[in-house]
Amino acid sequence: AAWVASPQLRGRAVAFAARVGEDPGQDGARSPLPAPPQVSSLLPAPRCSGPGLARAMVVLRAGLCPGLTEEMIQLLRANGIRTDLASNFLSLMLFAVVDFVSSDLEDVAQKCSLSYKALVAVRRVLLAQFSAFPANGADLYEELKSSTAILPTGSPSLDQLLDSGLYTGEVTELMGAPGSGKTQVSGTEEGRGQVCLSIAASVSLGLKQHVVFLDSTGGFTASRLYQMLRSRAEDEEELASSPGAVQWSQRCSWGGGKCGGNKGPWLHGMLEALQRVQVVRVFDIYEVLSALQELRDRLSQQVMSSMGPLKIVVIDSVSAVIYPLLGGKQSEGLAIMMQLARELKTLAREFSLAVVVTNQVTRDSSTGPLKPALGRSWSFVPSTRVLLESKEATWEKATTQRVASLAKSPRQPTGIQVELDTGNGDVQEPSPVTPTQGL
Amino acid sequence: MQREVGSLPLAPALRARLVAAGFQTAQELLETGPCGLSKEIGISKEEALEALQVVRQACHGEAARTAGASGATRKCTALELLEEEQAQGFIITFCSALDNILGGGVQLTKITEICGAPGVGKTQLCMQLAVDVQIPECFGGVAGEAVFIDTEGSFMVDRVVDIATACVQHCQLIAEAHQEEDHLKALETFSLESILSHIYYFRCRDYIELLAQVYLLPDFLSEHSKVRLVVVDGIAFPFRHDFEDLSLRTRLLNGLAQQLIIIANDHKSAVVLTNQMTTRIGQSQSTLVPALGESWGHAATVRLIFHWDNSQRLATLYKSPSQKESTIPYHITSHGFRDVQPPAVTQNAEDTEMNPRKRPRREEET
Repeated sequence: AAWVASPQLRGRAVAFAARVGEDPGQDGARSPLPAPPQVSSLLPAPRCSGPGLARAMVVLRAGLCPGLTEEMIQLLRANGIRTDLASNFLSLMLFAVVDFVSSDLEDVAQKCSLSYKALVAVRRVLLAQFSAFPANGADLYEELKSSTAILPTGSPSLDQLLDSGLYTGEVTELMGAPGSGKTQVSGTEEGRGQVCLSIAASVSLGLKQHVVFLDSTGGFTASRLYQMLRSRAEDEEELASSPGAVQWSQRCSWGGGKCGGNKGPWLHGMLEALQRVQVVRVFDIYEVLSALQELRDRLSQQVMSSMGPLKIVVIDSVSAVIYPLLGGKQSEGLAIMMQLARELKTLAREFSLAVVVTNQVTRDSSTGPLKPALGRSWSFVPSTRVLLESKEATWEKATTQRVASLAKSPRQPTGIQVELDTGNGDVQEPSPVTPTQGL
Repeated sequence: MQREVGSLPLAPALRARLVAAGFQTAQELLETGPCGLSKEIGISKEEALEALQVVRQACHGEAARTAGASGATRKCTALELLEEEQAQGFIITFCSALDNILGGGVQLTKITEICGAPGVGKTQLCMQLAVDVQIPECFGGVAGEAVFIDTEGSFMVDRVVDIATACVQHCQLIAEAHQEEDHLKALETFSLESILSHIYYFRCRDYIELLAQVYLLPDFLSEHSKVRLVVVDGIAFPFRHDFEDLSLRTRLLNGLAQQLIIIANDHKSAVVLTNQMTTRIGQSQSTLVPALGESWGHAATVRLIFHWDNSQRLATLYKSPSQKESTIPYHITSHGFRDVQPPAVTQNAEDTEMNPRKRPRREEET
């Protein structure tokens, strides 16, 4: 039988193992029940000894699996069940699953006067719960086909670079670089932010899906998102009246959700699109982690009241929150960074989301070559990396020409470059009328 | 709520011990209790208690958020943000061209960075903004107070007196022209003394003092809730001298940037930083770039670069989330930061940014 590593199937495996364990066909406590071949053949090799084992421990608690009651645990503890492996620890009041699973159950049954059958059943269930199941390639392919979606980014050239769009279940990284040649300053800081906004706009308006935007730099400007949505909507639908006739009174249009009759239907579409983008401002790595945790809780409980179908999470930017922790002699920064990486990847994989993160580009010294920030460890995290550059722009000229190149991809050859079309939703000329009118 | 132990904001040594003892989730920690915890890991009971407090706060913070409490959370839809942004005021700079390219003035809740060579007018603009933030709302201001953190010692009180006097005069002229009641009432409280008393000045002599001041600022701001502007004049200066460990500098600067963003966001104030320029020597030429390196460039949301063109001062908006890049000329007069006046036109242009719908008929001298 092929076991697929998905939560639902695993639950069924646990239930199956529990049922087999309670088979009343056996008598006597001496002869061990034959474990179902699938489970025992999947017994992980003894993980390791010594300090490595310490980290693989999980505390044995009542309710961890059916059959593991509080009295059983007290009995086990009271008899000081230890094995050689456990003797490395300072004090063992607590008891680990690994200890239990690798100990001699006959011995344990004798010492604690617990039923051998019950112990074997508990062990079987624990193994099923904590082991990893291998997956059949064909099943994996089927699962991927049914759960993966490709989200267009709103910019056809970028889609071309990404092999038709953002893949769910993967982490994609956008890096903003200073321009080559004469440019000194990162002119595409806004470029990176703009691409994120345009992705959010396209997913929200075009696909009518929800977007979660984690903003860690304070650079999310709703009015710019609105501009992009508007130009996108204007492209898609032809306005009956000229744009000048639609009066945008800034305060009362959306104040109570009322709007006049002469505004086109695209206004409603845009308001809804704006409501589908949820912005969370997180300025600290712990806030990012707790926001992701909360998102995961909400998704797993499937409470979709205000959150519709979520397919994409954008984090702008990941380097801003990790940079203060990296470097120096402390290794905590790397640990936290890897924790974040793990969160992002499991979020992407388990809930079939496309996770987009942004990063920056730095130099080693003032004349060294450019390299992505956050180092080599982070480079393994995203499966696709796109570098955004601004060619031939200085702060004396106003022209910017944005080029995106593929730095890492599982599907396309690296090094291909495209020019980003900024025609859609370009920044407007500063209005000469009043200073408060920025739209 | 299965928070992993690795993701909780605990001290690294403590966290390492917890993981080694086999704790994986916050739930397990809370169940064990302080006595069990202190025995397991070998720490004192007080430390265990403190650690559990932190864990409880982190977990309950989440619980409050999922229950829909809005106080401390920063979560909202883009539509709500849009409404917020449009209701927000700007801090005007008295130079209408600069206000235009900024989209109305210096934005609240964002970090604006001003880079420029020495003597080009960065501190002048900072002092102008410290006065302008206090303009009452009926004149188009935000009626806030200002915090001025000075690292270079370039803050001149007599100059601020000049700027403030000119600003008060300006408002008086407008009030006289329109004769509205709230204008006159506001003018009673808007005087030179009140302006000066609402600028909170801090002098930091090295980077440690600067870091301490910025990290202590939230407490100060919670007491003075009317502050709408935080100016750090010379963020580059303490970090450029005698800093051997450049990676430490990057770390500190990034931490500083995040802290400033938190301040700007939580207290709805604008943060203005001034930066120096340095020379980057390229292959065939050298160029002036803002100091503090590449990674600092990502810290500010809006970046203005002031430079000279022969004898004309120019301001370029180099980086902005919603405005286009452009360059405008400006002028520094005895009254402060002003537009460049085209020689033939009268001086009415300065009044328009105050109250654009009404033009006072009176002329005023520069």
